Amino acid sequence: MAEVRAIATIGDDVLQGRGDVVRSYVSLLFEALLKERSFRIGAAIIIFVVASALLAPVAAWLLGHGPTEQFRDVALTEMGLPTGPSLQFPLGADGNGRDVLVRTLFGARVSLAIAIPATTLAMIIGTAIGLVSGFFGGRIDRVISQSTDIALSFPFIVTALSLLSLNRGDDGKPLLAPSLVVVLIITLFSWTYFARLTRGLVLALRNSPLVEAAQTVGASTTRIILREILPNIAPVILVYWAVQLPTNIVAEATLSFLGVGVQAPQPSWGNMIAEAQRSSLYQLQPWFLLGPGIALFLTVAGFNTLSAGLRNVLDPHRHSR
Amino acid sequence: MIRHIGGLVFRAVSTLLIVLVIAFFISRIAYRNPAAMLAPRNANQQTIDAVAHALRLNEPWYQQLWYYLYRGPDIQGAAMGLTHWPPGLGYSFRKQTAVTELILSKVPVTLSLALGALVVWMTLSIILGVVAARRQGTWVDNSIAGAAYVCLSVPTFLSGILISYFLFFQLSNLGIFWFPSSGYVPLTEDPFQWARHLALPWLTLALAEIGIFQRVVRASMLEVLSEDYIRTARAKGLPEGRIYYDHALKAALNPVITLAGLELAVIMGGAIVTEAIFGLDGVGRLAINSALDGDFPVVIGTTIFAAACFVFCTLVVDVIARWRDPAHAH
Repeated sequence: MAEVRAIATIGDDVLQGRGDVVRSYVSLLFEALLKERSFRIGAAIIIFVVASALLAPVAAWLLGHGPTEQFRDVALTEMGLPTGPSLQFPLGADGNGRDVLVRTLFGARVSLAIAIPATTLAMIIGTAIGLVSGFFGGRIDRVISQSTDIALSFPFIVTALSLLSLNRGDDGKPLLAPSLVVVLIITLFSWTYFARLTRGLVLALRNSPLVEAAQTVGASTTRIILREILPNIAPVILVYWAVQLPTNIVAEATLSFLGVGVQAPQPSWGNMIAEAQRSSLYQLQPWFLLGPGIALFLTVAGFNTLSAGLRNVLDPHRHSR
Repeated sequence: MIRHIGGLVFRAVSTLLIVLVIAFFISRIAYRNPAAMLAPRNANQQTIDAVAHALRLNEPWYQQLWYYLYRGPDIQGAAMGLTHWPPGLGYSFRKQTAVTELILSKVPVTLSLALGALVVWMTLSIILGVVAARRQGTWVDNSIAGAAYVCLSVPTFLSGILISYFLFFQLSNLGIFWFPSSGYVPLTEDPFQWARHLALPWLTLALAEIGIFQRVVRASMLEVLSEDYIRTARAKGLPEGRIYYDHALKAALNPVITLAGLELAVIMGGAIVTEAIFGLDGVGRLAINSALDGDFPVVIGTTIFAAACFVFCTLVVDVIARWRDPAHAH
């Protein structure tokens, strides 16, 4: 770890250096990460979650149950109540006689397919804005930090609802796919964190010898920002990507739980949990709630553990948020 | 100091004004045919026209905006714009009440919820954080860290359902009725019932926050404990308890206070999920119901309320941080 830190502080020279030096930086980093226990645990959980998301159609094919198919005659009792776990329905059925396991697996796809693009988009936008704001300072910085203030003061759920109703066309049909709108809303609410983080990091580097040297040689502003500053702050931003991702997974699940995100019958963990709660059927068939609940917990915990590990290795001086 | 605060206040007010304008535009674009949406249900064309006229919907947007800020709709001869006293945020034709009044009637619930949760989570986080820092690296530290991790990774809506299932449903199956599942009793009416009704929502909100705050308190404590003046205190022979809870904690709380202010602001702006699960009729519920209903004067109002909470708490936190930090004292 000590070597990694030493190399990380030299950072720029190494990253701009010859190929073999870069390779040794990457392999050193990788070694240090693999030694970190929380990184290993987190990575194992994430790999498991991603694999189950990818294999969801296979599970659906093996069990013969689609994610929105209803099996009212097999999966519901005579009273119309969902049955518990059985061989055909490993996690039992939900109130409409659908397979909870298959729906949970497909829910993983929805969750990741919304949270990953949203977080990545927020990272790109936020980093770009933070770079400009931190590097140029002055009036630009003031305008940008006031806009981050404004964006931060909007309440998430209510604004999301208003924006979702913006999406309705004259004929009442949505103009864009609702899940795309959810991606955009989450992006809109998380770029500010990246912008603030990047701005702080750039300010710390702005007057460092590194930038001064580049200026003396006559490097252009674009070059300084992209080739000198960005590579130095990239690791911290990537760690923050992993920190923000679970938050955004929860944000999507919360919107769907409140019925404004991913709409039924498309399965998402949020709307499955909402259904279990609304119908109170989880008191009879606990897996109706536990299936999506455990999946959500596992995913969030996995990313939290992974980002803790990353932070320990890459950024030893920062405290847990 | 005063100049600094003046600058902060100016920025806060300008932020709020911009939020107001943006919220106004979003809702005007988002809700088509606003007069029909805003009119009471089963209203005839005449009423709808009257609403459209009261909101100046037939005039260009800048006049609508100006009118909204300056005067607000005339209801029974009383104007209720921002510049009137008391400043108003318009009128809900659906609920037949001024928006400000409507929000203020829900504030006690939200305030009780937020402040109570703050007390619970800060107390528990500080105790658990200090204990973990004191027993750093032992099984105590590790198990607290594990529990905090679990709290951090369970979303509020899930922990809310589980808490109400186990602490309400299962307990009442056993014949124990400690906690009601929903409802709110004003503090002024019966303090005991007030706390009893809010206990589960407090716990729900606090759990999520403990996951964050326990770690921050612990990290901050460990940093402070490595400073020279703690060594001096030890050398003077002060009892360990005093060193931890008196000397170190005072300094360690600085980052914690900042974070707590921001979290409190978010909860004040509407703990929508918690309010929904425990059937509390607070600002969050008002906000989401009016957004679903298309009652946009209330949507704008609650948005401004949430933004104001956020801006105000950031301001207070900023001032407190400056006041507590000796480096900025002058």
